[in-house]
Amino acid sequence: MKKFLIALVALTTMQITIAQNNRGTFSGGFESNSQWYQDDDGLGTFAPQDQLRSNNYFTLRYSYDKFTAGIQYELFAPNPLLGYFEGFEGNGIGTYYLNFKHKGLDITGGHFYDQFGSGLVYRSWEDRQLGIDNSIRGVRVKYDFTNFLNATAFTGNQRVGFEVSEGTVTGINTELDLSTALDLETGIQIGASYVNRFQSSTSPDLNFPADVGAYSARADLTFNKFFLGAEYVYKEQDAFVLDGFVSNNNYQDGRALLLNTGYATKGLGINATFRAVENMGFYSDREASGNAFLTNTINYVPGYTKQQDYAVSNIYVYAPQPFVSPGEGKAGEIGGQIDVYYTAKKGSTLGGKYGTKFEFNYANWSGLDATFDVANNTYQASLLSRNEKYFEEASIAVKKRFSRNFSTIFTAVHTEYNTTIIEGSGDFLRGDAFIVDALYKLDGGQSIRMDLQHLSADADRGNWAAATAEYAFSPYLSMYVTDLYNYDETDIHYYSLGGSYTKGRTRVAMNYGRQRGGLVCVGGVCRFVPENTGLTLNISTNF
Amino acid sequence: MKKILTIILIFCFAIAKAQTSLPEISLKNLSGKEVSLTSLSEDKTVVVSLWATWCVPCIRELDTIAEVYEEMQEEINFELVAISVDDSRSTRRVKPAVMGKGWEYTVLLDPNNDVRRHLGNPNVPLTLIIKNGEIVYRHSSFTPGAEDELFEKFKEIAG
Repeated sequence: MKKFLIALVALTTMQITIAQNNRGTFSGGFESNSQWYQDDDGLGTFAPQDQLRSNNYFTLRYSYDKFTAGIQYELFAPNPLLGYFEGFEGNGIGTYYLNFKHKGLDITGGHFYDQFGSGLVYRSWEDRQLGIDNSIRGVRVKYDFTNFLNATAFTGNQRVGFEVSEGTVTGINTELDLSTALDLETGIQIGASYVNRFQSSTSPDLNFPADVGAYSARADLTFNKFFLGAEYVYKEQDAFVLDGFVSNNNYQDGRALLLNTGYATKGLGINATFRAVENMGFYSDREASGNAFLTNTINYVPGYTKQQDYAVSNIYVYAPQPFVSPGEGKAGEIGGQIDVYYTAKKGSTLGGKYGTKFEFNYANWSGLDATFDVANNTYQASLLSRNEKYFEEASIAVKKRFSRNFSTIFTAVHTEYNTTIIEGSGDFLRGDAFIVDALYKLDGGQSIRMDLQHLSADADRGNWAAATAEYAFSPYLSMYVTDLYNYDETDIHYYSLGGSYTKGRTRVAMNYGRQRGGLVCVGGVCRFVPENTGLTLNISTNF
Repeated sequence: MKKILTIILIFCFAIAKAQTSLPEISLKNLSGKEVSLTSLSEDKTVVVSLWATWCVPCIRELDTIAEVYEEMQEEINFELVAISVDDSRSTRRVKPAVMGKGWEYTVLLDPNNDVRRHLGNPNVPLTLIIKNGEIVYRHSSFTPGAEDELFEKFKEIAG
């Protein structure tokens, strides 16, 4: 720690000196998320052993000429916040890298983030809210051969807490822009990738897969107003893993198909996505398969549903089901969603004086039709088949401005949720949510926002109501109070109040209240958070 | 605790001295063509807004500015480049959303969050005013009325 501080001081001083001489620039950030947990008789929860917990991230990045160097120091003291991976306990250098960029060449040594195609074969990323950092520590080289052809190759081990994975991940990717190459009107991009995971065999079986490769081929087409994209992925046989126990003689392969199409013109945009996945868990450590903290994930299989904006429409959220589990009757999923954005013009009947915006989304997901041999943990399935319904949702949002100062958003959501599949047990749930959000702008940058929300559901905890009031004193300072109330079954209020101050590069937010337990989903990836009560402080600054 | 304080102090000192620009990378626009970030503010002032389709205040900000965009373009040469930080899950939604909303901004895609990471992983919306490649104003979050402040700052900086 002391050494690190000295190094940091030296580095910072050096950088400042250099920056002043215009010989390089540096940037960075600091983010701190802390919570002081309280016992709560009303919820029946107790504060954890370390009542005050804090997740802190310091990043520094320095670039000079063709070089960029970066470092991220992380401190989880004395323990990470509840629901985060225990491997983050303590402190240390989380990531570091040195990058060289010249003309078409881009070389990184150290930790890097990247993705191939849609991420179905490979994506490494960081999300502090989810507690995910699956960057790869190794070497990555990217080269632009021409302005229409590039290739990337990398190898390394994946970050897991403050350690790296046992397995080594290696990948190559190439992308060709045919429209530029052939000077076409129609946009045509094609790409192909191969990603391999090598982890020594732990089995006496000579056929045990130590090397597991995954292949991706894809194409994107853009005609004037239409666009169309397709990606197919095949993953070689990997050992079947159940609750961390690796099978010595049961090997299964996986595959996925992703199609996307849409139409966009001024005032109307439509996008439709279809995806089928079978056994697409891909991990840098086979024993980590299906782990709750999403560590060691090489590929990215997000839930393609709409990310809802309000408390009552975020209780029953779909978590994607790409894994095989014969005991639970799961082999993968098939489904899709469609989004429509429409603006009724100013002056039209629907549009009124200011124009009205409509957003519509429909999502539907089901399990693959498969036959299972539960005793042997094997299955037979077809990728393009459909069986039990996992999730269905239809939502509409209407954004209407009534005057220069007053605007509203009306939202309605119908949800069907297979609780057993998504959470492990429970009855199939149908719910309808209605939300009204009104915003009134006052003079001098002040504004008032209020929302009223209701969800009626026929299972689990039944009906919910919620309300929020938010007052902005200026563009810099705002305060809010909110309550989510389960008035049907538990009679619990999940109240919260707080405020935030933001100025230039710095934001400070503080709130006190109850956090509803359950899935917290960011970008279609979900993490389980236990119910808790406490005081939270978030500070972030960038420079 | 003392250590943390020391680190914070160092950072505060660093902030006072730091000056940053956008990274020297290229992002794709909605037609799939690469656009270099350094070319965005060559000899002029532009506003760069980092946003995402799933971010309510971001959409509010861009919708609000869109209502007066033409006026502001004429009056103060206001120009906005909206960089979407939507990842591969939602990046396909960007084009239909932008077109459906009728936004006239230049829209760029940052699905791997390279720009966002370069700026220190800020929350979105993040609004920057960039003059000749240098970031001269930075504001995160959006509440109604903040757009007026942005226009004021823009006028002041663009001169």
